[in-house]
Amino acid sequence: MKRLLAVGLLALAHAFSGGAGAQDTIKIGVITDKVGPAKPYAEPVTEGAVFGANEINRKGGVLGRKIELLIEDDQGRPDISATMARKLVEAGAVFILSMSLTPATQQQQNVTLETKTPQLTPSNSGDTLTTQINNPYFWQTGPLGSTQIATLLSHARAKNLKRVALISDNSDLGQLLARFFRGGLEKSGIEVAVEEVIPRGATTAEPQMQKVRAANPDAMFMAGVLTPENVLILRAHRQLGLKFPIHSSYNLSVPQYMQVAKGLLNGLTFVDAYDPDKPEVKQFEAEYQKATGKTPYNLHGYGYDGILLVADAIRRAGGPDKEKIRAAMQASSFAGIMGAKGMKYSFPEGKRTGFDPTGMVVRVYEGDSQGRVVHVGAK
Amino acid sequence: MKRLLSWVLAAVVLSGIAFFMGGYANDVYRKLLLWVALALSYNFLFGISGQVAFSHFSFYGIGAYAVVIFVFQLGLPLPLAVLAAAGLCAVLAAAVAIPSTRLEGFYLALATLAFAQLFVVVLNEGGKVTGGPGGLADYRLPEILGFRLAGPWYTALIVLLVLGTAALLWRLDRSWFGRACRAVRDSPEAAAAMGVDVARTKVIAFTLASTLAGFAGMAYAFVDNTVSPTIFGLENAFLLLFMVIIGGSGSHAGAVIGAVLLYLLPFGLSPLIGHHHALVFGVVMVAAILLQPKGLVGLAGLVRRARA
Amino acid sequence: MRDFLELAVSATASGCVYALIALAYLLMIRPTGIINFAVGEWAMVGAFAGYLTLSKLNWPYPAGMAAMLGFMLLLGWATERVAVRPLVHTGAPPLAPILALLGMLVVVRESVSIGFGPDPHQVPEPFGFAWQKEYMVGVTLAVFAGAWLFFERTLAGRSFEAVALDRKAAALMGINLPRVTAASFAGGAAVAGLAGILVSPNVSAHYLMGVPLAIQGFTALVIGGVGRVEGALLGGLLLAFAEQLTVRYAPIPAGYAQGVPLLLLMLFLVVRPTGLLRARA
Repeated sequence: MKRLLAVGLLALAHAFSGGAGAQDTIKIGVITDKVGPAKPYAEPVTEGAVFGANEINRKGGVLGRKIELLIEDDQGRPDISATMARKLVEAGAVFILSMSLTPATQQQQNVTLETKTPQLTPSNSGDTLTTQINNPYFWQTGPLGSTQIATLLSHARAKNLKRVALISDNSDLGQLLARFFRGGLEKSGIEVAVEEVIPRGATTAEPQMQKVRAANPDAMFMAGVLTPENVLILRAHRQLGLKFPIHSSYNLSVPQYMQVAKGLLNGLTFVDAYDPDKPEVKQFEAEYQKATGKTPYNLHGYGYDGILLVADAIRRAGGPDKEKIRAAMQASSFAGIMGAKGMKYSFPEGKRTGFDPTGMVVRVYEGDSQGRVVHVGAK
Repeated sequence: MKRLLSWVLAAVVLSGIAFFMGGYANDVYRKLLLWVALALSYNFLFGISGQVAFSHFSFYGIGAYAVVIFVFQLGLPLPLAVLAAAGLCAVLAAAVAIPSTRLEGFYLALATLAFAQLFVVVLNEGGKVTGGPGGLADYRLPEILGFRLAGPWYTALIVLLVLGTAALLWRLDRSWFGRACRAVRDSPEAAAAMGVDVARTKVIAFTLASTLAGFAGMAYAFVDNTVSPTIFGLENAFLLLFMVIIGGSGSHAGAVIGAVLLYLLPFGLSPLIGHHHALVFGVVMVAAILLQPKGLVGLAGLVRRARA
Repeated sequence: MRDFLELAVSATASGCVYALIALAYLLMIRPTGIINFAVGEWAMVGAFAGYLTLSKLNWPYPAGMAAMLGFMLLLGWATERVAVRPLVHTGAPPLAPILALLGMLVVVRESVSIGFGPDPHQVPEPFGFAWQKEYMVGVTLAVFAGAWLFFERTLAGRSFEAVALDRKAAALMGINLPRVTAASFAGGAAVAGLAGILVSPNVSAHYLMGVPLAIQGFTALVIGGVGRVEGALLGGLLLAFAEQLTVRYAPIPAGYAQGVPLLLLMLFLVVRPTGLLRARA
């Protein structure tokens, strides 16, 4: 019995050792979540990256070679995420794009640090990704929680906020964003009068919102990332007849809210990195529509920018050498489609977060649709 | 003597493979071994002692977090931290098991389900101690006597853990304790009539199995060098149950087969059925219960008998 | 004071959802002793049926509701036929159907996820935002009244009770056991689906909503007791009030408040597993 097991394992081991790939493509690994809790966000980001890779290949590829995307699914499980990272490295990927959950990206860092493989997350917004481990091969161009709150605050500066409410959910990203929102608020001298958490699976947010009402805040900041729970918050806001304005993280920019939170969104401001009036964005939307027949939204843009940024770095590095790519990536100055007009991705002074802190915009919901940009930057 | 030799041979062969595999294969192999260890101890709890519990994976998590906290926050030397973590698992397991002895069947399952959820809540709210939602990272296996186990050597350590778990459970199964567990599983009244202390048997079985899960967790902590609440959520508890049932509950070989199959299949199935292997597992598990409660092991037995 | 009154309304509405799930469990446990943990996923199916018929296809509310109930009756009956009856026939241990139903839980959830995608979907309210809670309470009371009348006053209901008390004796008296079991599963599924369509305008229909509801419903059942229909209602209300009052008034950090229902469940399981209301002699 044990002998059979050993032979079987040997055979499997052989099957799992990544073979050497074709020499004429540049392999870029993508780790995404196709079945787990991050799927609503990971899927459009990945689609944007795939579209971007196809576009690059149509225009001649990078340094005359085509890009090959190796896409792996980590099912939203961080332990599988690390395994997939190893698989991609062994398959010859020179760069890894992380589109899954924040904890999954964190797990992958152990692998990319060990194997000295460049890694980029174009969509994660957890600030701790660049601070928990010192990994010079890791970059993050997603809109950081700290950037989001800074942008929201600079928009709210004219309103002279003294005391506010902070509300989030009990997901890890929600808690992380809440922490950085609180930090930003307190640094601005604004008192967080009350902080509440809506747990996953709750059927109402009224008790928490009553506590918020009792604290009589000037405004409420939403840092949660779970759609059902955010909808509960908005319903309670209306049910309790609350009048203070709501400012939200970029999570409220996801178009699904326009469907599930009908009648609850008017006047809500949220940060976004997507300015639909930018000519680059208009062009992106038109071409995406033509190629796939579907309308893209902001999440697709993150993925698109991510793959273009990586391709640009490889181009400047002159080839698929991981160390040269690392240096080239660190020296990036690249204008993507996301962000305010004129924003570029860059990593000055050895920083590894590349989204310009002044590059986000604040938009407002007009009725049930995402309306105009009301504020730019974080000054 | 011959038996000991075969165990040693198994250890050598199973560890030896690790030296021929690359980083990715080693990673898959290590995690597979840990799942086998978990399935073996869960099989003892569920298949042999008849206790339906959803807390097994949580004890995996308790072991992992405990050893990391003890070594890197309390500064304990590794061997002491391992013992302390094992002790913590045992105490918590007993704390859950002792009041639950009166609960029958699925009521115990619900109590352990609540425990598993509470565990995640505690991890998330644990502030600096547990690292909150982000968990604990940025640590590495400490050196023992100037020597750090890494790569295939660490895999070899995990092989020893799995074989040790298997040997212990196999031995226990054959002892009077194993018989008592089975008796309690099949009919508590009859067991009591035969002089078995039902409550004590259940508590010991639960504590033992959970502590073994804790040991596996300690090994896991240094595989990915990160522990976070997301890893120890409820989904894996279901997967463990499926593994044991599909493999054949009550049988050690069944646990191993179930673990190997359900852990490796998603890697292979992805190109075929997309990524909804959970659906396939659910269907297979229902089929297993309906058609062949003895699982794959039972199926193999049928085939063997048919051929005879 | 205003807070408390508003909270009372909110807790009553949430409690009704829990109560309906508890009732679904109860309808199946009473005659068969089987705990069907898949009721949460059934509630999710009800919610998605609501989304499909009311939001996507834009049917009038009564039509959508009727379609959902009809579908759930069928689903419950089919589940019993496929996953339970064969096991009861072959005399499998009582744990086997429970485990088979756990497998069904995963099958149902994955199927919905494949069919509808991972995004949450909107389910409309029949009487608008302002009256949703009253609607939920009204429907729940109607269902419980119906269930109580069924068990207390009708012959069919009495036969359910008989089966619950003593299966063998009931069979000997000519009660058709398989039919009772099938009916109980169909009824349980319909009630669960109802809970789903009632709660989903609040939380939207999404494929992860099942397990939390299943746990909340089971906690309500344990608190109220399996013996009587009213117990499910009492348990649901008590749970919701405990949850929401704790969040509102207890001076503990917000994150820990989630532990309250779990602690309640563990407490009741250990101290009083039969629940608050005893069955009638």
